[in-house]
Amino acid sequence: MIAVGGRQILAAVNPAAAAQGIATGMPLADALSFLPGLLTRPAELAEDAAALRRLAEWCGRYSPWTAPDGADGIKIETTGSAHLWGGEAGLAADLSGRLARQGIAHRVAIADTLGAAWAVARFAASEAEEGACKLPVKTGKTGGIATSLVVAPGETRAALAPLPIAALRLDPAIVEGLHRVGLRRVGEALAMPRDALARRFGDTVARRLDQALDDLPEPLSPLGEVPTRRVRLSLPEPIADPADLARAAERLTADLVARLEREGMGARRLDLGFHRVDGRVEHIRIGTARPSRDPAHLAKLLTGKLDTIDPGLGIEDVILAAFAVEPLAAEQIEMTGNSAAAGGSGPLFDRIGAKLGLDALARLEPRASHIPERASVAVPVETGCRPPPKPFPVSTGEGSAHRARVGAGTISEPQKSPRPVRLFQPPEPVEAFWVLPDDPPFRFTWRRRTHRIAQADGPERIAEEWWRPDGQLVGGAGAPDAIRDYYRVEDASGRRFWLFRAGLPGAPPPRWFVHGIFA
Amino acid sequence: MSSATSLVALQDRIRRIERPNALRCGVLPFRAPAIDRALPGGGLALGALHEILGTGADEEDGAAAAGFAAGIAGRVGDGIVLWCLKQRDLYGPGLAAHGLDPARIVLVRAARDDDILWALEERLRAANSPGGIAAVVGEVGRLPMIAGRRLQLAAERSGVTALVLRRWRNGAEAADERARPSAALTRWRIAAIPSLPGSEPGIGTPRWRVELLRCRGAESAEWTVEVADATGLVSLSAELGDRPAAPQRVAAEPWRRAG
Repeated sequence: MIAVGGRQILAAVNPAAAAQGIATGMPLADALSFLPGLLTRPAELAEDAAALRRLAEWCGRYSPWTAPDGADGIKIETTGSAHLWGGEAGLAADLSGRLARQGIAHRVAIADTLGAAWAVARFAASEAEEGACKLPVKTGKTGGIATSLVVAPGETRAALAPLPIAALRLDPAIVEGLHRVGLRRVGEALAMPRDALARRFGDTVARRLDQALDDLPEPLSPLGEVPTRRVRLSLPEPIADPADLARAAERLTADLVARLEREGMGARRLDLGFHRVDGRVEHIRIGTARPSRDPAHLAKLLTGKLDTIDPGLGIEDVILAAFAVEPLAAEQIEMTGNSAAAGGSGPLFDRIGAKLGLDALARLEPRASHIPERASVAVPVETGCRPPPKPFPVSTGEGSAHRARVGAGTISEPQKSPRPVRLFQPPEPVEAFWVLPDDPPFRFTWRRRTHRIAQADGPERIAEEWWRPDGQLVGGAGAPDAIRDYYRVEDASGRRFWLFRAGLPGAPPPRWFVHGIFA
Repeated sequence: MSSATSLVALQDRIRRIERPNALRCGVLPFRAPAIDRALPGGGLALGALHEILGTGADEEDGAAAAGFAAGIAGRVGDGIVLWCLKQRDLYGPGLAAHGLDPARIVLVRAARDDDILWALEERLRAANSPGGIAAVVGEVGRLPMIAGRRLQLAAERSGVTALVLRRWRNGAEAADERARPSAALTRWRIAAIPSLPGSEPGIGTPRWRVELLRCRGAESAEWTVEVADATGLVSLSAELGDRPAAPQRVAAEPWRRAG
């Protein structure tokens, strides 16, 4: 039951109600006058859509190309996978049987084109149920709520011809228009010249006809990403024991690795899907720092996350899909048995990456920049083969440090001055007290603690890198903040901080920040 | 055999019975004789868990502790140093100044202490695989006894040195955790103290007070040192030995007078 324009409309009816003459789309008031005892519930459209999506995902056991279709259908591209079930009829029977066991009323149709399958599932099936089937299709019955139909290859035109014109996936308005000119069956429209149809009703009718007859390709955009490699394990009996799940994962990993080895590839991202008997799919997703096809390593990553899987009443299918696949040369094993791969640290960080996320891992790399926060950046570890990083310029705390008389305004050489071990990003504002605007403060308050400054070095002036597009400091180009004067200060207790004054001295009001702490 | 030597031999035997592996991996001398003398084996035990604390507000910021840890980690082998932390405030150039080349660091960022402790242990357990690791460093607030013991065992088994920087969120957590025992072989407390005035005004030679709060088989002790430089070595502050009379600090600078 849904509310449309202030009226309440029946969104769906069960077979018992349908038998009493209640139909989908009927206003609630009409339905209640037909059948006063009718029980209704508000429609949960979002829930329905989510359930349909889950079911489409479950259909992934038949093919990676699956997607929900409208509010009540699922499309599956079965090309290339039907032979696993002994042909299309076998696939349709398997799918229908499993859906029936889950108590899902359904009609399955397999045809050459998406359009034909859509039409046959929605229109031919109802006629087949009524026993009035004169169509060139094979019918399989698995119970009162289930039908499966397979249109033999090349029979599309014959299968479509007797169906009502609405089977062409058209707007109700266009269907009505076609009815007005006397076109009621698909066959009648097929006989019409296409350009006449296009003139009268627009491109839609002609396009739908072409799509149904495979004259116009209609690619299926699948639910989610299509894996590049996929291996599947169907179990004769549902399994739920964690040890069994681990064994299944190991077996699939071995299968996938064998394939990757033949192709000289390695996987970067894997998705292990556990298809439960109740139609839900539970996933384990892992990523590796470098392409890998080490079965023990990959299996360990996968089984390490098995405790996140709820097997419910049991798992009937397990599918392992590889998403990011990259060339990986056969590994040279040194005579000592150690892998000679550069870095060699991939697998070691994968277990950490798998638990905390690969973006949790980073390396510090030096950059040629005067701006402190840009001189050292954290780059993800996973970025493939990186050139050996340049050595960091060593800033010696003493000796070579340029020490200027406080307030003398000398600008130190970059990187010659000491740098803190902790750097705050962004710099944290402090409340500072100073006597002369050119001097460092004598006292500052940061994080509710007041520090009395005993000694100070500086300033070291760091200006924005105006020649770089991203070189601007706080406040943007031309703003007074484009210049920072850094001071190394020591408070009475001996802690050493890196303070800076944003803006030119004298340009009121100067603002002070603490940018880091020295060890 | 004199009684002194037999006593030393006996102590050595007892130590070996107590901790068969304690000094198996050797030691890392600080090359500061006063410190090395105080430590069993003449240096910081390798393949063991060491705890490093800050003082005062630095218990939250962990700056001095990071500098001290960098000085140690930089001198333990030349492999990767895994540094696990919660805040993203570790600054490469600053570490380089204390003897740890930041290019050797692999940072692991995690939101919880437990994840950091897990990552440390995981990495220690996998230490024998290729891609040599020199040391692991973790910044944690809480270090439960059991987690510490696991880390200590993993470090012993792998021969990789583990440093845990205790970094507390606030004074309450610090007060709560400071007194707790831990399974680490040693516990250090590092405090930045006023620098040794040089001949010029401004900050002189930066110094730490290094306290060995706890060490199995040794007395606790305290030293004043000059901070670890680019070689990663601390040197005993000249104040302890003979040094020329300290020049008086520049008596009154304008901004100090104002304070």
